Amino acid sequence: MVDVAVIGAGQTKFGNHALGLKGMWAESAENAFASIDGDFEPSMVDEAFIGSIAFGGGQIGNTAALLTEHTGMDNIPVRRVENACASSGFAFRDAWMAIKSGQADIVVAGGIEKMNDLTPERKRFWLGVSGDTEWERLAGLTFPGTYALMARRHFHEFGSVHDDLVNISVKNHMHGLDNEYAHIRKDVSFEKAQNGFMVADPLTLYDCCPTSDGASTVILAADHVAKKLSEDPIWVLGSGAGSDHLALHDRPSITQLIASQRAARSAYDQAGLDASDIDMAEVHDCFTIAELMATEDLGFASRGEGGLFAREGRGRRNEGSVTINPSGGLKSKGHPLGATGTGQVVEVFKQLRGEVESSRQVRDANTALTHNVGGSGATCAVHVFGRDLK
Amino acid sequence: MSSNQCINWQGNLACIQQDGLVIKSRHTIDGNHVFGPDSDYTTLAVSGLSLLSEESEINSVTVNGNIDKLVLQACGYLVDEDGEWKINCANDSASISISKDVEMDWEVPGEETDRERYNLIKNAWLQEMNAVSQGAFVSEQAYRSGAASRMNFSSQQLGDIRIWPPREMIGDQRPVDAPPLGQSGIIESWTKLSAGGAPSEFSLRAPILGGIGTVFVKLNDGPRGVFLIADDDNSEPEIGKLVSFGLRRIYAQDGLIRYGLKALIS
Repeated sequence: MVDVAVIGAGQTKFGNHALGLKGMWAESAENAFASIDGDFEPSMVDEAFIGSIAFGGGQIGNTAALLTEHTGMDNIPVRRVENACASSGFAFRDAWMAIKSGQADIVVAGGIEKMNDLTPERKRFWLGVSGDTEWERLAGLTFPGTYALMARRHFHEFGSVHDDLVNISVKNHMHGLDNEYAHIRKDVSFEKAQNGFMVADPLTLYDCCPTSDGASTVILAADHVAKKLSEDPIWVLGSGAGSDHLALHDRPSITQLIASQRAARSAYDQAGLDASDIDMAEVHDCFTIAELMATEDLGFASRGEGGLFAREGRGRRNEGSVTINPSGGLKSKGHPLGATGTGQVVEVFKQLRGEVESSRQVRDANTALTHNVGGSGATCAVHVFGRDLK
Repeated sequence: MSSNQCINWQGNLACIQQDGLVIKSRHTIDGNHVFGPDSDYTTLAVSGLSLLSEESEINSVTVNGNIDKLVLQACGYLVDEDGEWKINCANDSASISISKDVEMDWEVPGEETDRERYNLIKNAWLQEMNAVSQGAFVSEQAYRSGAASRMNFSSQQLGDIRIWPPREMIGDQRPVDAPPLGQSGIIESWTKLSAGGAPSEFSLRAPILGGIGTVFVKLNDGPRGVFLIADDDNSEPEIGKLVSFGLRRIYAQDGLIRYGLKALIS
């Protein structure tokens, strides 16, 4: 079966943009096209998948057609992919499958979200649209509340503490400090993160990612094309995905994400690797507790030991066996919902090719993983990448 | 009837005797009973009926006053013009009586509440009634179809497993209707959301209340659920603590007040 590689990847800076949807997508696509080593034209793209939840309701229908017409990908099959915050993780998986199936040779996967041009009232409406509307939202929950329930339960069951989350926040801000694409580039001290404004007890402002505008674009190609267009393709070694009950009350446990575990197992199996083989991982830290649980669900820490993993600083850049969120993660790099998944792939592409700022390069990185979660864990896509084919 | 025969019932003051009861909000301003932050005549009526049904059989009720009949029906009471039990709302007080014959009343002291806060909440509810959804919302149809589960824990069963909230399963996973769950459980987790962290449905009241409290509860009958804390009680929840439930207002939207069970922390 055909192998699939990433041959180009680019994004906008995540944060508050003056640009609208079309402008952000154009900038992101242009950056991705420019990153391709060989002679490439947008007209060579066979198909495109663009992740977005259409935050704010501005352009819910036919978003993908509107965006691709501005970037030289005329008349090809396109569609918007929606799976909450995992939208572009799944757009990437769809693109990978399109090539794997033999139906396409070059496919674009991307994501986009415009979040900061709304009134606070409208923004709060949209921030809760991916949770269980009928039972959780009616009980006053948005995602800070949902993850706060998970955090307190994890503390209770495993003895993890809020300071473990503080360590994650400090690490990710430190990682994002030199990332030119990051939304929040500032050094955050342990004391400051420890004493942040309480958003949803026990989660403070420093446990929560920002709401960001942004777009990201990735170009995937079949092996025979990738070798012609790229001097250093990054191979997709495994793609896994999973889902779970939408509402927390229907899950047997709220201290783990079954969708993540299933997605990871599938991606590792395809790649013929396990967690100990991964050099760096971009994980979905929409809240610090989400990263703590992800380190367990992805196998970097044993069940219940995510707190200890964070306490010992094992995810810090170049300090342990795996660097977690070298980009700064959602916490520092930002979280434009639909753009996050392929934004993670942009970081992996550049890290594995040695193209990020030297101050934040993960040393000797040959394998990487992306972990993109939808909402409170109802959906998840995990991908494993390598510099070399198996 | 003397006040020492009155009890605290689901966060309200209930005075019961052989042929009926009076139930009042525990909140007062200058001695006059006023509604709590998420209460009204409907919530008092359901609370009173649930107490009365422990002593007497309630076949049907007649309503005199501003009470949402759908809510009474969802809680399992037959509403009829010639009902056996008469529910009468006091004109100028957060108080109702439920009796077979005469309207009853008696004095019972409450807790003085802050007048300014009370007025702010009252105005917020009035504004909220005119709020229009801007995106994700529970339609009136969905709200009504789930009313019996939301307000009375009506449940389903599959084999030995009790199911709540109701699920629309297929094949051999299709559950059958089952009696309502018991209204008690244990807190498995909790949070308090700041005003800015709460959904927009709560954005007018949350700043006045200083945020909203939510508990994740394992009900004694098995299922789990997420619930707001009743009366916007500021007492600190704890994992492992027992909770019971009382009907309260949740929010208003599109001209409709939405009710549901909220957790009463022991």
